[in-house]
Amino acid sequence: MNTQSLLLAAVFFPIIGSCVVPLAGWISPRLRNGFSLACVLSSLCSAVCLLPSVFAGDITSVSYSLPLGFNFILTADCLSVFMAITASLIGSIIVFYSWGYINHYKNQHEYYFLVTLFLGSMMGIVFSGNLIFLYVFWEVTALASWRLIGFFREKSYVIRADKAFMITMFGAVMMLMGFITLFQQTGSFDLANIKNALGTTPAANLAVLLILMGILSKSATLPFHTWLPDAGVAPAPVTALLHAAVLVKIGVYVYARLFIATMPIALPWHTIIPVVAGASALISAGAALIETDLKRIIAYSTISQIGFIFLGLSTGSEIGIAGGLMYILMHGIAKGGLFLCAGIVEQNMHEKNITKLGGLFRTMPITAIAFLLCSLSVMGIPPLGGFFSKHMVISGAIAGGHPVIAFVFLVGAFLTILYLLRVFTMVFLGDPQTPTAEEGSPTMVISVSVLAMLSVAGGLYINYISTPIEYIVKQMVR
Amino acid sequence: MASSLILIPLIAVIIFNLPIMASHKRLPLLFGVVFSLWQAWLALFSAGSLWGNPVFPLPLLSGMHLQVTHLTLVMYLAIAIAAGSALVICWYTLEDGNKRFDVINLILLAIAGMNGVVSVTDLFTLYVFIEVVSIASFILIALHKDGDALEGSMKYILMSAIATLMMLSAIALFMMTTGSTAFGEIAHALRTQPDSLLRGTAVGLFLGGVFIKSGSVPFHGWLPDAYASAPAGVSVLLAGIVTKTTGIYTLIRLVTAVFGFSAHLQTLLLAIGALSIVVGALAALTQTDIKRMLAYSSISQMGYIVIGLGTGTTIGVAGAVFHLLNHAIFKTQLFANAAAVEEQTGTRNMDALGGLAEKMPVTGITSIIGFLSMAGVPPLSGFWSKLIIIIALWLSGYRWYALIAVAASVLTLAYMLSLQRRVFFGKLAAGFENLKEAELGIVLPAVILAAISIIAGIAFPFVLHRLILPIAAGW
Repeated sequence: MNTQSLLLAAVFFPIIGSCVVPLAGWISPRLRNGFSLACVLSSLCSAVCLLPSVFAGDITSVSYSLPLGFNFILTADCLSVFMAITASLIGSIIVFYSWGYINHYKNQHEYYFLVTLFLGSMMGIVFSGNLIFLYVFWEVTALASWRLIGFFREKSYVIRADKAFMITMFGAVMMLMGFITLFQQTGSFDLANIKNALGTTPAANLAVLLILMGILSKSATLPFHTWLPDAGVAPAPVTALLHAAVLVKIGVYVYARLFIATMPIALPWHTIIPVVAGASALISAGAALIETDLKRIIAYSTISQIGFIFLGLSTGSEIGIAGGLMYILMHGIAKGGLFLCAGIVEQNMHEKNITKLGGLFRTMPITAIAFLLCSLSVMGIPPLGGFFSKHMVISGAIAGGHPVIAFVFLVGAFLTILYLLRVFTMVFLGDPQTPTAEEGSPTMVISVSVLAMLSVAGGLYINYISTPIEYIVKQMVR
Repeated sequence: MASSLILIPLIAVIIFNLPIMASHKRLPLLFGVVFSLWQAWLALFSAGSLWGNPVFPLPLLSGMHLQVTHLTLVMYLAIAIAAGSALVICWYTLEDGNKRFDVINLILLAIAGMNGVVSVTDLFTLYVFIEVVSIASFILIALHKDGDALEGSMKYILMSAIATLMMLSAIALFMMTTGSTAFGEIAHALRTQPDSLLRGTAVGLFLGGVFIKSGSVPFHGWLPDAYASAPAGVSVLLAGIVTKTTGIYTLIRLVTAVFGFSAHLQTLLLAIGALSIVVGALAALTQTDIKRMLAYSSISQMGYIVIGLGTGTTIGVAGAVFHLLNHAIFKTQLFANAAAVEEQTGTRNMDALGGLAEKMPVTGITSIIGFLSMAGVPPLSGFWSKLIIIIALWLSGYRWYALIAVAASVLTLAYMLSLQRRVFFGKLAAGFENLKEAELGIVLPAVILAAISIIAGIAFPFVLHRLILPIAAGW
């Protein structure tokens, strides 16, 4: 297959496949589950197959000219392929874990349809080379996550789903206005043309402000963060994971794509964005410290860690950007592991209040160890993957001339250690508070072990990750 | 060809009512559906040259000049879609055979009238066809002759009477000052002597009449009552197309082809559009009756069309017409869903409903597609038209109006999400354990319309090239 068909396959296999999923479900549930995983895996494979060509410096692109500047363009460069691999890797593990988790519930066709569609449109966002289609795929992910959050149909869940949908939709339409402002400034919705038209002129401040509103709402950053803890509580942990590990990364990715790889932004933004990110990281870390609901804690922790990613990307120094990108990967894996462990605990204990749990280490050893490893990675303890990314982000902040902000983030990192240790001690150590508990189903335990091992491997083999990421950053800032 | 779209349904109604036809009760429905399909096909795929030759050179029509523009073609399509669906839904929601027969005939009459409205080129004939449509609608609304229906119909008649009065006075003033009611001559007179007070008054009066007919805020009082009290199938017709043809189409046509844009007129259109968008959406938020909520949302969506027209740019007008077409698709479909819910549960009160998606999956899924298209969520067709309107507003410098328009689309999402939550999503409400999906005749139009929303959204380049952009190019 040539690179263009690989690119089309990465996006359209899961999107078209998602519509076939319910049909496959009528034939047999097994076929449906397998087919759904195959769709996501095909994205992963296509993205991996694109690796050699993009790292040789080729940029693959597929484009169809459409009226009014709404051109359909897909572009694969190093950044997008990196992001596609991250998202589809975690996505594949989510789908695999779902086999064990979701088979107790109703409406499974709908579930697999939505997850596949979500991951397909995520690929669309990642590869999109035109702002209008970026928005289209962006909204399709919002749509899928709306239905997934409200999946269990309890009234309170549905209300939370509506809330998440409305906040992200509000951000998205503001972002759309920002895109139109850019169109006014440059005369095009195509990223390549925008890049050429702008050169070194910064993008209009109004456009940056409006687009940031979209990015912050999708990435659940202050002041648009409130939907994420709610979304994390209501539905299946699988869904929560989808949001924490994949959905929130969309905003971060679009930030990197637009404001680093495509257009320069005016100087004040380089201070405003780290400050917002810092506030978001500290406040949500504080919230995570006092929460007692397991999944809410992890959700707040996500908001806090997203702040770190924004910090890394917004410092403007190469090491900071590289740290931010590495953070996307490491955090996705480790946070995925945490959510899946929480899912196992919740499904087996029917309890997610950490004050009523305890001593699970004895009955669920594998889950406990996986949880510990993933927590250590999120905390940034060497030699796990999370350490390197956190280190690079903070040194990037210092290199970019923000020592105060770097200090704030060190405080944030300290808080992370506090709240994650608190959770681990209260849930897995101490005396058992409930008698019956057993380990999760094999597919679920395998999934968390894989994620925990990836967190460890990410740290041990950091060279294999940092070299390509440095190359990506060079291509982005060029 | 245009004349045959008016005459065939008219003649058909006469034939169906002949005593010898009395035993063929189903024939009118069959005819109406086939005719609608034919009209849609003509609008989409016929060559432009077809529309020049009248096939019925009747003396009756000798003084009537018809003209088929690209805008007319879009309207033919919208009329065919909405009226065709309304025919089927009326047939399956009404029990009484005689009422069925009357309704089908009246809808055919309304189709003839609407096809006339969108084809004519002089003000007086336009007025006549608007009245044809209105009279058919009055009777349709009052069909059940109970208190609500009579009240809704009466309100509509009273408001329409005022509108009629204003339009007729305007026509008289034009006749007095220019000696003609033809679009071309009035436009010419307005261009050459823009300061004439009488003509200015006439323009104002006619526009006032049109605003009442379209139910724009602040002339919207009659609309929710009329939509909500009408029988289910009739409100499909009313909301989907009738007020859009008699009100909004007339507005677009007159402003672009006859009155021309002026700074004052643009300000007026933008203000009325923005007001309609916001008031309609806020009022919709507070409703508990499904049909009333949809009626207020119609007012809000009409605002988008008026505001798009108010930009005075070709792209804005193209967006407005595109939204008109999309509105005919998704609003017809949402009222069809409301008809299915009312038919199966016997209530329109959203607080008494809940979790119906479990028992009525087709209605549940199609209504999600309809409301997403209305809220402008991609990739559905409603997104593209709203996008074009907003781009037009932003690029022509009306940034605050653009912000109002997008902020209101979040409101649209808010009330439609609340409708979904209260009616379809969530847990099944008590007492509906034995609920079944509505019959095929009600569900099928909704499925087809939802499919159109999806397909038109994905194949939007085709829609733009074939239907919408020629309007911008030709104007």
